[in-house]
Amino acid sequence: MSQWTYPDPVSDEALVRRARDGEEAALSALVKRHTDAVYRVALAIGGDPDLAQDVSQDAFVKAFRGLGGFRGDASFRTWLLTIAANAARGALRRQGRRREMDLDSAPPLASEARGPDQDAELSAEAARAREALLRLPEKQRLSIQLRVDEGLSFREIAEVIGSTEGAARVNYFHGIRKLREWME
Amino acid sequence: MSDRECGVIRETLPDLIGGRLAGADATRVSAHLEACPDCREEAELLRLLHATRPVVPAGLARRIEGATRAGRRRASHRWWGLAAASVAAVALGIGVVSRETPSLDEADPPGIVAGAEEARLWVADDGLVAGAPALEGLTDEDLLMLLEEMGAETTGGAA
Repeated sequence: MSQWTYPDPVSDEALVRRARDGEEAALSALVKRHTDAVYRVALAIGGDPDLAQDVSQDAFVKAFRGLGGFRGDASFRTWLLTIAANAARGALRRQGRRREMDLDSAPPLASEARGPDQDAELSAEAARAREALLRLPEKQRLSIQLRVDEGLSFREIAEVIGSTEGAARVNYFHGIRKLREWME
Repeated sequence: MSDRECGVIRETLPDLIGGRLAGADATRVSAHLEACPDCREEAELLRLLHATRPVVPAGLARRIEGATRAGRRRASHRWWGLAAASVAAVALGIGVVSRETPSLDEADPPGIVAGAEEARLWVADDGLVAGAPALEGLTDEDLLMLLEEMGAETTGGAA
C-alpha cells in the first residue's frame, strides 16, 4: 500500500481528478480527509455507531463508483456528505425502525476541551448538550452538526439536507434557540 | 448591541469555534463577544458542542480504504468479464449467422434464421449480430454465465 500522503493544500477537486485517473493515493487521501465528517453525518441520522460505520463505508464505495459522474456542481465534500446522508436514511428504512438512541448507547464524545479539573463538570454539561441535540428534529439537528462540527456553509447544508439555503439557516437558528432554552 | 450586528456575529460563531476564522474577522468577533453576554452564551454552547462531537472509531478510515480498493478490483474484473463475454457473444453470433443464414430462395420470415430456435439465438434486426438482443438487460453475472455456457457449447461442438 502506498504510504504517500498529499499535503493539505491539495484541493479536493485536484484529488478527484487524480482519483479518476486511477491514482490510489488520491483515493486514500480523500478517504482520510472526509471519513470523520461522513461518519458523524451517518451517526447523526442513524443514531447507531455500528450502523454509522457501515454507512460510511457504503457511502465511500458509492461515491468512488460514481466519481465519473461527479460534475462538480457542488463541492466533493458536500456531494459525499449528501451520499452519506441518503445512505444512512436508506439503511434506517431497511432496518424498518425509527432512529432511537439513549445516552447509554451513545458513542464516546471528543474531549479536546477537557482539563483534569473541568472533566466532571464538562462531562455533565456535554451530556446535557448532546442529549438536548438529540431531541431536535432531524433537519435542525443536522443543520447544527454540519455547521458546528463540520464547518459547512448554509448553502452546503441546504444541499445535504435537501432544502433551500434560507431553510437551512432557519433550521440552524431555531435549533440553537431551543438548545439554549433547554440548557438554561 | 444591535440585533443586526448580533445576527452577523452569530452566523460566524461556528467558524470562530472551529478555528476557521482568522485575522481581522476573528478579532472583530472576539471583541463583540467581550461586550455581548448573549452572544457569548451562544458561543459557549457551540464550544461545548464542538468539543464533544462524537469520536470516530479508530481504524475506520483504513477499513473504508480496504473496502473501496476491493470494490474497484471487483468492478475491474467485472468489466474484463463483460468485455470478454461481449466479444465471445459477437464472435459466436457471427458464426451462427454465417452457418445458418439461408439462401434467399429458402428464407424464413424475417427475424429468425433457420435453426436459430434450436440454438435459442435471435438474429438482430440488421441481420449481422445474432444473440445481441438477448444480451440486453442481462447483468454482468448473467453475461459471465453465458460466456461459460458458450465456452462449454463450443468445446462440445468441437469434440
